[in-house]
Amino acid sequence: MTTETRAPAPTRTVAAPRRGRGRRALVPWLYLAPALLFFAVFRFWPTAWGIYLSLYKVRPYLGNQWVGADNFVRALHDPALRSAVWHTVVDALATVVGSAVAGFALALLLEGPARLLKLFRTAVFLPVVVSMVAIAELWSSLLFPGRYGAANSVLHLAGVGPLPFLSSPHSALVSVILVQVWKSAPYDMIIFVAGLAGIDRELYEAASLDGAGLLQRLRYVTLPALRPTTTVVLTLGVIRGMRVFTEIYVLTNGGPNGASQTVVPYDYLQATTNNDIGYAAAISTLFLLITVALTLLVQRWRGRRES
Amino acid sequence: MTARGTGTGRRRMTGIVVVSALSAGLLAGCGSHSGSSADSTGPLKVWVRGSGDSLKAYDKIFAAFTAKTGIKVQPYMTLTDFETKLSASASAHSLPDMVIDNASQLGDFESQGIIQKVDASSVPGLSALSPQALSSVKDPKGATYAIPFSAQANVLLVRKDWLAKLHLSPPKTWADVERVAKAFTRDDPDADGKNDTYGIDVPGTTANGYISWWWSSLLWQAGGDYVKSDGGGKYTATLDSPQAISAAQEFEKLACTDKVVQPGMLNDDTTAGNKAFQTGLTGMYLTGPYAFATMDASPVKGKYVAVAPPAGPGGSQTLAEGTSMYLMQGAKTDEAEKLAGFMITPTTQQLGMTAVPTATVVRLPVTPGLNAATAHSDDPRWGLAATVYQKDGHYEYDSLPNWTALRQLTSDDLNGMIAQCAPPAAAMKKLNSQFQAALAAQGVAG
Repeated sequence: MTTETRAPAPTRTVAAPRRGRGRRALVPWLYLAPALLFFAVFRFWPTAWGIYLSLYKVRPYLGNQWVGADNFVRALHDPALRSAVWHTVVDALATVVGSAVAGFALALLLEGPARLLKLFRTAVFLPVVVSMVAIAELWSSLLFPGRYGAANSVLHLAGVGPLPFLSSPHSALVSVILVQVWKSAPYDMIIFVAGLAGIDRELYEAASLDGAGLLQRLRYVTLPALRPTTTVVLTLGVIRGMRVFTEIYVLTNGGPNGASQTVVPYDYLQATTNNDIGYAAAISTLFLLITVALTLLVQRWRGRRES
Repeated sequence: MTARGTGTGRRRMTGIVVVSALSAGLLAGCGSHSGSSADSTGPLKVWVRGSGDSLKAYDKIFAAFTAKTGIKVQPYMTLTDFETKLSASASAHSLPDMVIDNASQLGDFESQGIIQKVDASSVPGLSALSPQALSSVKDPKGATYAIPFSAQANVLLVRKDWLAKLHLSPPKTWADVERVAKAFTRDDPDADGKNDTYGIDVPGTTANGYISWWWSSLLWQAGGDYVKSDGGGKYTATLDSPQAISAAQEFEKLACTDKVVQPGMLNDDTTAGNKAFQTGLTGMYLTGPYAFATMDASPVKGKYVAVAPPAGPGGSQTLAEGTSMYLMQGAKTDEAEKLAGFMITPTTQQLGMTAVPTATVVRLPVTPGLNAATAHSDDPRWGLAATVYQKDGHYEYDSLPNWTALRQLTSDDLNGMIAQCAPPAAAMKKLNSQFQAALAAQGVAG
């Protein structure tokens, strides 16, 4: 009897922790549930739905028509999309590098605990918090292409211009990039300021004792110590650059002659004005695939470097 | 290693289960649209594309309708993403009973299958409306798909103080326009000693097809057109005709050779165009009569005149537009038809022009015999707008299955042509073949 009653006991003792473990395993998911639910509703589901729509000619009322890969084939042969992709790459790279360099320079100038510097940093940071639409209005006025535009009046004093800025296909993209750099450089500055504050002062002192000058200290102490910070700045910048929309949409709407058109506003145009949601979904899907591929590549590259 | 591996595996599995459960729930939620159309009982649901005080004007009209018929109306008005919201309601198969939107939506709505064909005999007064307004609600095959509610045509606003300063009179022909535009640009009409004014105001962005919208009057004045009808609802593009090319040449002459258009016009939408005229940057602006109110609320008030559009070699036709009422699929058709009939009675049309002075939802009446000038506080400019509409109003090809896409195409090419100051003939030939291909893609190529 005793042996009989004892016999199942080990199985129970094994089973009980397993159930406990199961419950324990579920707990983190419960904590995550609100965020997951949020992402599911606002991110995963729309993404899946978008991929589904990319295979159809979308007709909300009459029912969608299956077109297979047609939308994708069209996207690959669309010269306007190709130039939008090219502009996006140029815009993203130029903006990322431009803002990082300007941000770094600002950080070097404005790093430190002094109260006055804090005031300057706040002033310089303002463009980041101002709405892009307001900034676009401001810059459209400043960059008015006539002789009496604000920027052109200043240039006139230096004997230059008047420049067409946003109104010429040759200078529209450059002008948009300058506005973006103006807006995002202070953001990069803040990250660099944090990075600079984290550098051990003794390193500078040691370098000075070894006879290193200002530039050498910058080259051999500051820059290597800021490598992780720079990675963050560049990654955030590329993400921002790839999905550029408001800047283009409000400043030039992609014009003139498509000279500043980038992928996301072009996609938006297909979905709204041209009412071609299937095609727009195909462009988005391709864009998603490219982004995922790039992310994986960067991760692998970083993984290799770290190992 | 193995234990950790299975642990991760199990966790991953739990994750997948949670995510798929969430997605499944969502799928079920999204799939549960009833599939039914608008309610067969309850108030008439009317969606209006508009904003601001317009709702007050429509409220007054609907109140009068309810008082007369006992049928209640539940209006919903928005300007933001109106068409997107309508698409959402179409995919849920719960469309409103009536939609009041731009006349230019006709072809798009028809090809989406969301509107009903209108039986002219069941909407009282429909056949008595002005023939022009009626033409704006017919599809390429001649079937009526909407009921017109309001109309308008573009007129030319000119700075009269600038004209006086330079001893000029308002332009009547293209040659006059060129002369006045040059004087406005070069002879300092605002007498501030700076060369900071321009003759012509063009909203030349590709957004919403504005550049084509503006240029269309030039095209018709040159005697050209976007398409010619081949009968049976088929069309052939005619944008490479000598007349169309001369309209493109005229535009390029103004923008590239004479340089009398405001700089930055290639990115300017109508808001920027309005601002340019209001702030004294430009002196001539071809736009709709709704701009009277916009301009009069700015410092340019009293400093400009409205005149008939200038005549080109092919006449003085000008862009006409309108507001139409669409009966939606699954609507309470009888009641919606009653409302449509009520909206085109002279009394309601008058109410639409006068009920709320800041929001004249009826710009020019579609019912003959009403005096627009008297209705709009005895403003003679409205009398001019009415005459211009009747004599020279020309609608765009709104009834084509996707006119917006065609207008966008024209805009992209025109904007490119002016941006590069490229030869107009080649640009128009290229546009014409693209336009023809787009007509074919829409199934209406001849």
